[in-house]
Amino acid sequence: MATRILRRTGVSNEICERLKRREIESCKDLLSLTPVEVMNAAGLSYEKASVLLQSVSKAIAPPFTTALELWKQHSDSCFSTSLPALDKLLRGGLPRGTITEVTGPSGCGKTQMCLMLSVLATLPKSEGGLDSSVIYIDTESAFSAERLVEIARSRFPGYFSSKERVLQMAARVHLFRELTCQDVLNRLERLEEDIISTGAGLIILDSVASVVRKEFDTTLPGNLIHRSNLLSHEATTLKYLAHQFNIPVVLTNQITTHVGDQGSAVSAEVDSSFVTAALGNTWSHSVNTRLIVQYVDAHQRQILIAKSPVAPFAVLNYTIQKQGICIDVDTTRPRSVPVLG
Amino acid sequence: MLGYVSWRDVLKKLTLAVTMQRPVSSLPLSPGMKLKLVGAGFQSTADLILLKPLQLSKETGLSQQEALEVLQAVRKDGGGGEGSTSLTALELLQKEEETRSIITFSSQLDAALGGGLPVGKTTEICGAPGVGKTQLCLQLAVDVQVPQCFGGVGGQVIYIDTEGSFLLQRVIDVATAAVRHCSLLVEDDEQRAAMMTFTMETILSNIFLVRCHDYVELLAELHLLPDFLSDHPRTRLLVIDSVAFPFRRFDDLSQRTRLLQGLAQQLVAMATRHQVAVVITNQMTTRLQGNQSQLVPALGEGWGHAPTIRLLLQWAGSRRLASIFKSPGNVDATVQYRITSDGFRDADQSEQPQRKRPRTQTDQSASSQPDRRLLRCLSDV
Repeated sequence: MATRILRRTGVSNEICERLKRREIESCKDLLSLTPVEVMNAAGLSYEKASVLLQSVSKAIAPPFTTALELWKQHSDSCFSTSLPALDKLLRGGLPRGTITEVTGPSGCGKTQMCLMLSVLATLPKSEGGLDSSVIYIDTESAFSAERLVEIARSRFPGYFSSKERVLQMAARVHLFRELTCQDVLNRLERLEEDIISTGAGLIILDSVASVVRKEFDTTLPGNLIHRSNLLSHEATTLKYLAHQFNIPVVLTNQITTHVGDQGSAVSAEVDSSFVTAALGNTWSHSVNTRLIVQYVDAHQRQILIAKSPVAPFAVLNYTIQKQGICIDVDTTRPRSVPVLG
Repeated sequence: MLGYVSWRDVLKKLTLAVTMQRPVSSLPLSPGMKLKLVGAGFQSTADLILLKPLQLSKETGLSQQEALEVLQAVRKDGGGGEGSTSLTALELLQKEEETRSIITFSSQLDAALGGGLPVGKTTEICGAPGVGKTQLCLQLAVDVQVPQCFGGVGGQVIYIDTEGSFLLQRVIDVATAAVRHCSLLVEDDEQRAAMMTFTMETILSNIFLVRCHDYVELLAELHLLPDFLSDHPRTRLLVIDSVAFPFRRFDDLSQRTRLLQGLAQQLVAMATRHQVAVVITNQMTTRLQGNQSQLVPALGEGWGHAPTIRLLLQWAGSRRLASIFKSPGNVDATVQYRITSDGFRDADQSEQPQRKRPRTQTDQSASSQPDRRLLRCLSDV
């Protein structure tokens, strides 16, 4: 909306011409100026320049709504994860229109979670799904179609009893393999069209961290800022898509080890080093919900809700089995564990 | 203010001068003064409009008081009594006593702020991700609506969300808890009647929500807000959550500074002119100093001058702390708080380390009892 051309907002041709000479063509260009600069560029008096700014603002400002209207419209604002304990804590499931991040060490189950969510999204609403397609952007070539089918068959044996249903489900998961940062960015820029053409109800990006960490060596000067800018760009685009289409976005991230002392949600039991989600502090601000998966021992793993607008900090034990993620209902541990959000 | 005339004032005066010219003899002044004016060569009001009292008195031989009287007559005549008259500190004191603050439901934080977040001023809330900035904003969006007979402000709220963190389910929880809390405090008929209009649905209907995706939409929205505030005079709170996110990736830092300064000025103007409390959330950024990295509020040094009050929410081990680190009227203080299913609240009085556990029955019953400290805090305002 910000790139809307001034001519189409009802500004007179004469003023458009004058502004064009100063290379001011879109609403973004105009609103980035102070009122005095607008007066100069457009050759208008102060009052007229204010009126111009008002009318251009009206053209692109998003509309107001009230929380009550929002409540009436969105009866189902969550995407159930089919893990009842997790859904209960998250007050229904992964919230639509927001970014949920699953982060943790390698091999812990992040991709498994993504595959499981992909199957869920294709299920009809009566089975607890979104009855829609899935856009799966894979940067690590970790997607396995066979595993997807195995999860579907084992988790919902009744529904996926026939082969057609399985094939139908598989046809609804659209896979995009992007191996560099620029590719990922380009794909996100064009994703709007893909969402509309496939009728997608879930976007998965697995993983955000791998491409970024491959290409940006943050010990080199300037790279940190570039990386931050790239990630902000990705976050903004994903949030825009999530909000406009009211769908959940799930990303995976890696972890990084810090040596040193930094206060945070969970007290460190390991003495001086601790792990945090990778990609830095700015990225942590950008995600709305953060789930951390980690190992307890060789078999036991845990999901930690580290950042959520609705859920308290909580720890759930799980294992990975044929049907995907299985929460151990009786062993929810109350104590803090040494991983920080 | 001596010697300072903004170019806008000059423009306005010239416009007036051109449109309304009257002969000096028609002014409501004593004949002696009029004689001196005409004698000095002043024929019409247009000649007098840009003059100051000292210069006028020297040229005409009028005393300073008389010169001032002449100029005031001219100004009143032209219909141009413009905006800001000065206030005495006494008037301001009276005004401030009447102006209520928005309570946060954490009595310790309210006490440290002198009653709560002040209406008519800008407050910045910064903190690390996940520490509770949005939670505090949601709590304030509900608190601003608490009826006046309970010590609240009874106003509406505009919530500008740039990050997508406004989750309806959470607002419903906080609103329900606030309604429950107030209904336990009802003591007389007035409060009983007020509770009829303080329900979850009315609370939701008084929150005006808008989602801005980038800084241009945010700037456009701010241009339109003064009109919106005039149309909705009951608005007492404006929340921008967060102001940092749309400005994080900017190639031209000097343009960003300029835009932020303009934005800050607009917010301050809106706060004072329309009597709203402006609350903005900011993110933290890492600043590298040699080998050490430090978390500081984002958006640069210059931005720190804009808000009147700055709150920093941070972790200390597993505890959450709220620190006031800029406030003209209060001492810098740090209080502990926690986020419960009911919203933003005081930490437990006991010194036990915070145990992390999912919401259990005991938490619910504890928060449903009327909070005597809050009752006292409410009645003091």
